[in-house]
Order: sequence, then structure tokens, then C-alpha cells
Amino acid sequence: MTGKIIGAVVAGVILGFFILPGWVLDYTDMIIDIGLMLLLFFVGIDIGINRSVFGRIRNMGLRIVLIPVMIIGGSILGAGLAGLILGMPLNEAGAVGAGLGWYTLSSILMANYSNELSTLAFLANVVREMLAFIIIPIVAKKMGFFSAIGPAGATSMDTALPVIAKATDSETAIIAFISGAICTFSVPILVPLILNL
Amino acid sequence: MGIRLLMYLAVILLGTLIGARAKINKRLSGRLGSIQTACLLLLLLVMGIKIGMDKDVIDSFFSIGYSAIIISIFTVGFSILGVKLVSGYVTGGKS
Repeated sequence: MTGKIIGAVVAGVILGFFILPGWVLDYTDMIIDIGLMLLLFFVGIDIGINRSVFGRIRNMGLRIVLIPVMIIGGSILGAGLAGLILGMPLNEAGAVGAGLGWYTLSSILMANYSNELSTLAFLANVVREMLAFIIIPIVAKKMGFFSAIGPAGATSMDTALPVIAKATDSETAIIAFISGAICTFSVPILVPLILNL
Repeated sequence: MGIRLLMYLAVILLGTLIGARAKINKRLSGRLGSIQTACLLLLLLVMGIKIGMDKDVIDSFFSIGYSAIIISIFTVGFSILGVKLVSGYVTGGKS
């Protein structure tokens, strides 16, 4: 599956950069939205077939919240360490990590602070999303289903959810959606907060 | 974003209701899996196209791509480790 994912993304980038005319860009968002809705519908069907997952998730209760908490903490800590290596101020690097893969919002939130940092936030979070698509199947196989939610961050609620659902099971897909929603709501709070530290 | 979240939730719930009520045999389930894979790859292809056509992303990749890659590798790596650390507790030791 990983090979197919890499192939699809790389083929898309090459097509977009070298071959396709500019007007195609007007339709990409619409196609992505339709494709995403269709995939989320399929995720729902899988969940409906495996109804027993609801009981297991109910048993986990509020402990599920620990997953997005660790994703948020890990992302900020990881970005901070990367910042140390790159010679960046800790608050700036941490704020880029707090984007959690939501590249449009994180770059907008930093635009007033610095244009350069805003571009870095955009690109780092685009790369995170692409990296997530590629490694989710590998992480699911080698480190367990729940760990596969980690790379996606906020995108485990939308674009990365079909990849997670395909690589794991219905139970993990539901938890990934909850985790993605919590991460999504925390981005507009955390990015300005860390930036102003 | 709130509206979008509700839309995603509504679509998933609709699928869940249909999946719970419809009698889906193994053959149909396998076919659904193939359709799902095809849709997923198409979605990733279009997302790649969107990135490839965005001149700002491509231009900035050549100037600050190294920093972006380092930051994303560390954020992803530490997120995975963080979740791994608590996954046993979340499942109550059943994973």
C-alpha cells in the first residue's frame, strides 16, 4: 500500500508541475472534497459493519483524549528539538509544530508575525501531511494501530482518515477522527500562544 | 471548520447507518475495499497535482525545504512515540 501511496502522490506532483494546464487548479479542491466525502462514507460503512467497536471505545472512555494530547505534545517537542538543530528560536519552531499538519491555518496565523516563518509553517505542515500518507501503513504494521494516528495530527479527521482506516481497523478510525477533531480545534489556540512565549 | 467537521461527521454517520442495516456479504465487502483503494489513490493523486501546481510551495521547497523536512520528521517521529507511550493505557492493556 505504501508504494501505491508514494506513487500516487509523486505522480500527482509531476503531473501538476510539468504537464497539466493551470485551469486544472480551479477544480482540484472540488475533486478533493468529493473524493474525501466518498471515502469518509466508506469509512462509515466499515464502522457500521463492525458495530462491536462502539462497546470497546466506550470502555476506553476519556483515556482516548490522551492520544491527541500526546500528538500535540510530541509535535511541539519534536519541532522544538528540530529548531535547536536548525538554530531557530524555540517558540517559532514550536509554533510551526503546533500547526499539526493544518498548513493553511498555521501559515495564516503566523503571517502577521513573519512572512518567512509563515512560509516555513505552510511547507513543514504540507511535508508532514505527505509524510503521514506514506508512513501510516508502515507505522500501523510495525508499531501498532494507535501509533498510526500520530503522524496525521489534525488531518486524521479528514484527508488522512481514509489512509488510517485502510491501514488499521474501524476502532482506530473512530479514535483517529476524535483525535483529529481535538487537534484541529487546538491549532488556532496553540499557534499564537506558543508564538508569543 | 466547525461546519466542515459536522459535514464529515454526518457523512460518516450516514455510512455507519447503511453499513449497520445493509446485509453486506464477503464478495460485496471485497468490492467495496477495491473501490475504497481506488478512491484513496485518486484523492492522493489530485492532492499531489494541487501541490505540484502551487508555484509558491515548489519555490519555497527549494529555499527552505531542508528546514521543513527536518521539522516534519521530528514532529511526526515524536507524535508516534507519544502515542505509542500511552496506547497500552488507553486500551487498558488489551492492545
